[in-house]
Amino acid sequence: MALVEIRDVHKTFGKVEVLKGVSLDVEEGEIVTIIGRSGSGKSTLLRCINALESVDTGEIRVEGQKVHAKMPDLKKFRQRVGIVFQAFNLFPHLKVERNITLAPLLTGRIDKAKARALAEDVLTRVGLADKIDAWPEQLSGGQQQRVAIARCLAMAPHLMLFDEVTSALDPELVGEVLKVMEAMAKQGMTMILVTHEMGFARNVANRIVFMHQGRVWEQGPPAKLFANPETPELASFIASAK
Amino acid sequence: MNFLPLWRYQNQLIDGAIVTLELTVISALAGLVIGIAGAVALKGRITPLRWLVRGYIELFRNTPSLIQIFIVFFVLPSFGLKLPAFEAACVALSLYFGAYSVEIIRAGLDSIPRSQIEAGQCLGLSGWQVFRHIILPPALRNAYPAVTSQFVLLLLGTSLASQVATDELFHVAGFIESRTYRSFEVYAVICAVYFAMAMSFKALFAIISLAAFRWPRRR
Repeated sequence: MALVEIRDVHKTFGKVEVLKGVSLDVEEGEIVTIIGRSGSGKSTLLRCINALESVDTGEIRVEGQKVHAKMPDLKKFRQRVGIVFQAFNLFPHLKVERNITLAPLLTGRIDKAKARALAEDVLTRVGLADKIDAWPEQLSGGQQQRVAIARCLAMAPHLMLFDEVTSALDPELVGEVLKVMEAMAKQGMTMILVTHEMGFARNVANRIVFMHQGRVWEQGPPAKLFANPETPELASFIASAK
Repeated sequence: MNFLPLWRYQNQLIDGAIVTLELTVISALAGLVIGIAGAVALKGRITPLRWLVRGYIELFRNTPSLIQIFIVFFVLPSFGLKLPAFEAACVALSLYFGAYSVEIIRAGLDSIPRSQIEAGQCLGLSGWQVFRHIILPPALRNAYPAVTSQFVLLLLGTSLASQVATDELFHVAGFIESRTYRSFEVYAVICAVYFAMAMSFKALFAIISLAAFRWPRRR
């Protein structure tokens, strides 16, 4: 059984059908990168996986459990599935430590005595141990995004979703975030990414999924997909992304 | 001009000022609770409750607060709710302050981006936890300046409670004036007292703001 099973998912916003029957499996430990033009439905698909959006028809299962916005243990489910956003979404009124420890404390994952040690641990993993007492506003975009990743790691998720996490960053800050993600990939974290970073997709991902017009248009290992795209749409996308 | 005849009334003046402060602080705290609860109800999914809150806001913001105090003091007793003057004034002023607070706090809640709420939900927090820890603190910071200026208006508005014979500052002034016939002096003095109280609260609010909202503003 795959960790994530997506079966014929349809999703409509108003009159626009954004997902037109998407099916996809992601195995445990796999790094799957979703690429495609804006409006191809890749971010929507990602948001459906942790029930930020609910699907109209079809179904999504994570660890065998059917995902939807009204599932009985939605909160528990979301503790197992981390998501990192394009705009970081750190809580501006909380210092870095509290940003990280808030959810583990409130959900009872850890007690107060262990909170700081947990924050130190996950911050070390993203290379920001010295920023534990900083306010989010005092950090650069790249640092904020790494704290956002650390905040997810503190929940010890089984699956991490990344929604264009480098798109809002200055070019010189992209590398530090990708490096952290690469390290996580090496440690065996299951990851699904929506990204425009073709270099990262090529070098780190096990599989590339090209979405086009609300469908999975083409997928396969990066080496094959980039070298020999089967569809003209992917070929033209790769050409334009270079 | 002669302020000397007022000297022997200093204890009454101090007592009046204390009652004014009590009226203000009690009504403000109760009104703030109404404000937060009302704002939550306005953003909630229960439609009849939203109508109720909306009706309450419009009623209290579009009628004279003097009449609101009269209704609580003179009219409610015929429905079996008899309150002493001070309590009646507190109830009326709380509802008055609450009506303004609801709108101010709702605007504060609206100022928190949807993405902040999503980030909290995605960490597995409950609706209440997201509200309490992620939405409310920055929302209160955004609402704070408007709430504090409304507070000063409330402080000045407590003088209306004199009309149901609450022994607050303005009522005491009327009493002293009737004894001394020194209208200008009496009202000059209580005007100065109101001014001093308002300015002191402003200073206090500035200090509270520094202590409570320590995180840097978004650049």
